[in-house]
Parts: sequence; structure tokens; C-alpha cells
Amino acid sequence: MDGNLFLKTLAQVATAICLLASSASGQELAPTAKQKIEQLLTEPNDIGLDTAAPGTRWDGLAIGQSNAAEVHTLNGMLELAARSNPTILQAQYQITGQLAKAQQAGLYPNPMIAYIAENIGVEGTAGEWQGAELEQRFVTAGKLQLSRDKYLQRAKVAEHLAVAQQFRVCNDVRIHYYQTLAAQQILDLQKELLKTAEDDLATTREMFNAGQANQVDLHRANSELRRQQLSVLQAENRIRREFLQLSSLVGMELAFLPLSGDLHAASDLIDYDTVAQRVLSQSPEILAAHSKLREDQITINRESVEWVPDVIVGGGVGRNFEANDTTGALSVRMELPIYDRNQGTYRQAQADYIRQQKEIRRTEMDLKMRLAMQYETYLSAAQHVLTYEEMILPQLKQAYATSLQSYKEDRLAWPHVLHSYRDYTLRRIEYTDQLLARRTSEVLINGFLLHGGLNPAPGAIPPGHLDATPNPR
Amino acid sequence: MERETSPRRHFIKSGMLAAASLAAGKTLSAQEQVDPEEAAVPQAGPIATPPAASNTKEGTVRDQYDGFSRFKPSRGNDPDSDYYLGKLVPGFRSTEEGPAPFVAPDLEKLPYVMKDGAKQFELVAQNVRREFLPGYEMDVWGYNGSMPGPTIEVTQGDRVRIIVHNELPEPTTVHWHGFELPVQQDGSMTLTQNPIMPGKSYVYEFDIHEAGTFFYHSHVAMQEAFGMVGWFIVHPKKVFDPPVDRDFGLIFQNFHIKANQTISNSWAMDWSWHTINGRSGPFTTPLVVKHGERVRIRLLDFSPMQHHPIHLHGHTFWLTGREGARTPKSAWIPRNTELVGVAQAAEFEFIANNPGDWMFHCHMVHHMMNHMVEQVGPRIREGANVDAYMTNLDQRPPVDMKHSEGFATPGYPQGMQGMQMSEKFMKAIWSRREVQGMRATWPKSVHGLMTLLRVLPDDLYQQVMETDDVPKGAIFEEIVQRFGTPGTYQKAPMMKMGH
Repeated sequence: MDGNLFLKTLAQVATAICLLASSASGQELAPTAKQKIEQLLTEPNDIGLDTAAPGTRWDGLAIGQSNAAEVHTLNGMLELAARSNPTILQAQYQITGQLAKAQQAGLYPNPMIAYIAENIGVEGTAGEWQGAELEQRFVTAGKLQLSRDKYLQRAKVAEHLAVAQQFRVCNDVRIHYYQTLAAQQILDLQKELLKTAEDDLATTREMFNAGQANQVDLHRANSELRRQQLSVLQAENRIRREFLQLSSLVGMELAFLPLSGDLHAASDLIDYDTVAQRVLSQSPEILAAHSKLREDQITINRESVEWVPDVIVGGGVGRNFEANDTTGALSVRMELPIYDRNQGTYRQAQADYIRQQKEIRRTEMDLKMRLAMQYETYLSAAQHVLTYEEMILPQLKQAYATSLQSYKEDRLAWPHVLHSYRDYTLRRIEYTDQLLARRTSEVLINGFLLHGGLNPAPGAIPPGHLDATPNPR
Repeated sequence: MERETSPRRHFIKSGMLAAASLAAGKTLSAQEQVDPEEAAVPQAGPIATPPAASNTKEGTVRDQYDGFSRFKPSRGNDPDSDYYLGKLVPGFRSTEEGPAPFVAPDLEKLPYVMKDGAKQFELVAQNVRREFLPGYEMDVWGYNGSMPGPTIEVTQGDRVRIIVHNELPEPTTVHWHGFELPVQQDGSMTLTQNPIMPGKSYVYEFDIHEAGTFFYHSHVAMQEAFGMVGWFIVHPKKVFDPPVDRDFGLIFQNFHIKANQTISNSWAMDWSWHTINGRSGPFTTPLVVKHGERVRIRLLDFSPMQHHPIHLHGHTFWLTGREGARTPKSAWIPRNTELVGVAQAAEFEFIANNPGDWMFHCHMVHHMMNHMVEQVGPRIREGANVDAYMTNLDQRPPVDMKHSEGFATPGYPQGMQGMQMSEKFMKAIWSRREVQGMRATWPKSVHGLMTLLRVLPDDLYQQVMETDDVPKGAIFEEIVQRFGTPGTYQKAPMMKMGH
């Protein structure tokens, strides 16, 4: 090759390299002259959680945690809820309403007063009789007392329902408190997993530099880190949701503070037969149903005397202009129960009574069904918690400790240690979920399976009941 | 530097006496470990007797042989010479004294009784605990409480009877590898005999017409991988010429034993532990010889599936034989490294003419370390250590994502980082007489299939092998003083080495 040809070839090669470099610079992943390939491949775009989702994170968490001395307690939350939860107040007003009805139903009828002018213009007179008359209905057969008793009994039903509502609210406050507590713990564990994912990326970069990992591994480690960042964000979001829901149940806007408490503390294992007997005998729903049955019995009694006619006695004094004499008037009236002996309403009351008997039975069966479902959840969670505490977590913790020791002794590679810790932490998250499930079921079982602390407080009349008379009786 | 005749004579005499006392001491030591009831049993192989002042050939041993020096690195004047590279340079021992005692470091000899005209040995196949490294006791299978099994040592022409007891939970047989024996004695399971069932015994008996390096092993494949092998050395009726002063035997093996495990996975296709006579470097016992001696090393590769390129530092050796027979001298090959394949034995002979502590090892890089693992994680990160993780197992320290400076060099790290040797470990390493006076840092470089050849002038040999408490580095520094360039020598840092 002569000199000119050599120079020409060299120039062509240089041009080709420049073209190649310029075309490559437009690609995101291609190395430039200033970027060594290993740097480009081992440096992730971002590695910090702060850059993972700018502007979308809840800053309340950080503010609350900045003052570690202040914490929320479960008892504090329960006290707040007792004062502020609207449904508890609703339930109390349900009682008041029934008492008011009882008062109203027992009031004696007012007397009637009338001015009467009869046969005006007869014989050119002002009228045959003009005068004032006072009339009074005399209620017979103790109807008013029965009506009052009936509504007083309804007030007792409302009282049981108010107790039920208190259970609903308190149970829900407890459950959401534990849910928030669990969310706190899970966030801590997710942060442990995040540190492990960061370590995994650091390790993969180290292995890349030693030829033990390739681009595929780096991409995987980068994406795994981002996925774990999302898990942390999700855990933060969960705390916010749980805390806002807790605030709603309490009925006040609360500033976020860490919650104190222990998910682990729990009573002895709940015995199904014992708790079933307790629920079926003491549940406010059962007690309310039985009270309602008594009220229905009173209603029957009340309707059974409805046909007994009241006596309406009237009397007055007037002037008989035709006779030009002052005369008196007297009337005694009463209904003749020939056709209407209230037999329809009586039958309806009897039907209501039988219906309520079935309602008690239905409530018992419903409680049994809910208890069966809840006890299954409880038992499974208790079994999980027990096994996780006695075997799974200690074993995994020991596996992690042993892998660390093995690494220290140069007998195990670091990725195995990371795997052990990840395994241990993932199981700890599962354990936290099971603790929460156990506590939730425990609260519901001990709290007569009542929840829904923001549903309207139910009234004393069950759905479908016909309040046949617009005026209370 | 040529040695003067007069001091040379003095050296030889004192050296020979020392060798004799050493040999006697070693024999005594071996006997002390024999059961008292068997103390009267004659040991295989000759017992060293005080050497004559001359050898059979020329009445004396010389320093120089046709340009080859017994006492300094040299090759000789003529590759065709019998003495080129010390090829036929005799040891100090005469052929009349019989073969040199066979020494397999860290292994015992199997005693025998003479009965009905045969040397009768008893071999018990059983599971064995073997300490590969101090504190690392592994569960393997072997014979008579040892892995590899004890050495059977006989003389050409002997009749041997070996009663094999099977204390294993599964059948076994023993194959006498390399012997031209009657087919019924071959030990090939089901082909030539019924298996030796658990709890049962079997008697092998045959005449030995061969001489050379043989071995016995189970003929169940996985039992072989699990360590069931041992030397079967047959000394020739007529001592090989030129005679050697030292006759060593080393069995190289591989095992796959996971972290926190003591049981080898004999099904594995890779291997994490490497042993020489059942120990891994730096727990292998060095071969200590005297300056100028003729040395034979017999080497058996009984790895399941790994060949070993064996390399000796500081010397060129002659490959004088394979397991089948001693090679005619015309076919001997001078080597620095010899590839020894699975189930092959090789014999190396050389004159130890270069004083010092020399590596003797398999050159497969993955065999030159113990339980090799990837060097990533806290041990290569600045400011990180494993103890910080161990203080709280429920929370781990955060990781610093910044690269250390080493990452400017692709491929970092290649050196094994953070090798930790406990004080107890180091105490065990230094507890052997054979390592006295070596540099304080030597255990850091001897791992896996590695051992050492120590070539010591007579007085230093005596210090190492017959006195106690030789300071670390003292022997090495003395060798540097005498044979090296002391002006450039840098001492090893005196590490915390137990001892």
C-alpha cells in the first residue's frame, strides 16, 4: 500500500467512525466519548425514593413523625369517637324519639268545648237553643297506658340498638387503629426491602464490574428497585388512607401522628362454643330483637282493647229562646263496635308478633353465620401468627443470621444473604397481615360482630314493620 | 558458590545423622499411634538405619555431577547426560538400606500381621469425620477412621490378605487399583463378586508381583466421590536406582460442600473443597526435606472429575513413573508442571538443590482457594462490614450506592477480599512442627490444593524438626541471609497469628 492510498483509507475510516459516533449519540443508551460504557450501564437514572414520584407523596407522614414524643393512643381515639361520632349521637336521639312518642301516646285527650246554636230563626226567635257545651272523651280499657308502655318498650329497643351502635363505632375505631398500626409496621418493613433492593442494585453493579453480571441483570436490578420504591409509596399511601378513615370514624379532623400500640398483644385463644353462647345470649342485636318482641306483645294487648268504646260525655248550658228559658244539655256517646272491632289491626299485631319471633331466630342465625365466618378468619390468623412466631420467623431469622455468618467466613456469596433477608422481611410483612387479621377478628368476635361505624344508626322499628296508625297509640 | 570439601564432608555427615534421627523419630511416632496390642506387628516398609558414609555406586555422594550441583539451582552441562537436571544424581541414602520410608503427611499406615504366609490387613469401610481445615469437620466416608484411608505398604513379592469389613449402611466392594491379580480378587461389584453387604466382611487375597504406586478404593462410584480411597504402595524388591532420601505420597481430592454443611454432595458437578491427604491449604502439612536430598513425590488425583496440573516452584522435576509401572529412564521427562488426570498417579523425582519455602500446588486457579465465592457485598465497600448487619437482624444498615475508587478499573475486585482467619484457626495452622520459622503471612497464600516443599540446610532442618518455638520468619530470613539478597528483604508484617 503506497502512502497516498494509506492516508485515503485512514480518512475513510475516520469519517466512518465520526458518522457512527454521531448516529449513536442520538440513542439514549449509547455511550458517548465522555461516558465509559461501564459507567453508563452501572449508573441507574435515579436511585433515591425522593425522585421516584415527585409531587405525589404525602408529606403528612414526615411532619407527624418529626415530633416523636407525640403519639396517638387507642383509648384517646375511643374517647374522641364517643364524643364525636355522629352515629352514636343519632342512636341517642333514636331513644329520645321513642321516649317522646311514649309521652305523646299516653297523654289524655283534651276536652272539647263548643258553642251550639240550634234552629236559628224558629218562630222568629234567635234559636231554639243556644249555649256552650263541654265534651270529654273518657278513654277506656287502659288504652293510653298500653300505648305509653308500647313506646317505652320501643325506647328500650332503641337503647339496645344504641349499644349496638356504640359497639359498631368502637369496633371500627379499634380495627382501623390496628390497620393504621399495621400499615406503619409494613411501611418500616417495605423500607427494609427498599434498602435490600438498593443493595441488590449495588451488588449487581459490583458483579457487573467483575464480569459476574451483565446488562440484563442491571436492567432487572434497576426495575426491581423502582418496583420496591412503588411498594414503599404504596405503604405510605395505605397509612394515609387508614389514618383518614380512622379520623372519619372518630368524627374529627386529626393531625397525623404515629400510633402507639402493639399488634402482638392478644388474649388467649377464643373458644368457639363459649363465644357463640355469649354472642347469642348477649348480643345487642339479640337483646333488641327480644325487646322488640315484648313491644309487639304490648302492641297486641293494645290493639286487643282498641275496640272497647271510649265514652264521650258532653254537657253545657244554654238559652232556649223559643221557650225563653235557660236549659242544660247532656250527651253521652259511644261507638257501637258492630262492624269495626279492630280485628284487622289486631291480626296485624299478632302477625307482627310472630314475625318478630322469626326475626329473633333470623338474628340468631345471622349472628351464627357471621360468627362462623369471622371465627374461621380468626382461627386461621391465630394459627398463622402462632406458627410464624414459633417456627417460620425464627427459622428465617436464623437462616439470615447463618447466611451472614457464612458470608463473613467467605463461604457464601452476598446475593444469597440479600435473598435471605428479603425472604425474612417478606414473611414479616405476611406475619403483620396475619396479626392484623387476628386482631380484627378478635375485635369483631368480642364486639358481637358489629361494624360499620358510619352507617346510620338503625331505629327501633325493623324494616317492613307497618306503623299502622299515624298518631301514636 | 562452590562449597569446600572439608565443610562439605562435615555437612553431609551431620545431615545424614540428622536424617537418621528424624527417620527414627518418625517411625517411633508412627508406632506410638499403633494399638498397644499391635505394637509388636512389624510395620510395612523398611525402618531407616544409620546410613553408611558412601553409596553403592561410587562410595560417596558428590556435590557436582557434570555441571549439575546438588546444592544450588543448576541444570548440568548436557541434556543427554545422566545427571542433567539431577536426573540420576543419587540421594544420600544407599540402595542397600532399602527404600526410603514412605510418608503420606496426615495419614496413618495400616498395620498387618503375618498369618499363613501372608501379610494380613484389616480394612473397615465406614463413615468418617475429617477436619479439612481447623474448625471445618466434614462428614465423608473412608476406612478405619480416616479419609483418605490408611496406607497399605508392602514389598514386591508379598502375599497379602485384606479382610474388608463393611460398616456402611449400603453395600461396598474394594478395588485394588492397578494390580494384575486373579479376577475374583478385583473387587468389581457384581461383575466379579457379590457386594459386601452392611455388617458383613469379605476377604481378598493375592500375590503381588508388581512394584510401584497403587491405591485401593471403593468400586461404588458415589462412594469414590465421597472419599473412599487409600494408598497401596509396593516397594520394589530391588531398590530403584538412584535411591531417594524422601518418599512422599499426596492424594488430591475435590468435594462439593455447601456453606454450613458438613456433608459433601457427591452428585454435584462442581467442587468447592479441595484436599491433599484429607486437608485443605493452609492446613496441609508441608514436605520438609534437607538441602541436597533426592526427593520422590507420588501424587494421586482421586478427584471425582477434575484433573490437576501440578506445579512445583523453584525446581525442575523428572516425571519418573505413572501408576502402572516405573518409566524407563530414557523416557523420563523434566517438568515444572505435570497434568495428572482423574485416577492417575504420577511420580516426581528431583534433587532439592534450592533452599526455601516452595509452593507445590494444582495450578487450576479455582483449586488454589477454599470455597470460592463472589467477592461482592460489604466486604468490598468502604465503611461497611458484616458485623454491622449482625448486630440487629431485624433492621439492616443502609447501603451506600456510591462506587468505591476501585470501580475506575473494570474487573475490580479480582483479589479475594476479607479472608478471615480466627485466632483459633491460626493457632491450629501454626501448631505443626513443619511450619516453624516460616514467614508470618504464609497462611494467606496457601489455600485449596496447595502445600509446601521446604528445602532446609541441615542445621535449619534440625531447628525446625527437632526444636520448639522457632520464631516466625526466623528460618526464612536465615535462608535469605545465606542464599538470597538480604539487603532487599522486607519482613512480613507480624499479623495476629495466634500460635
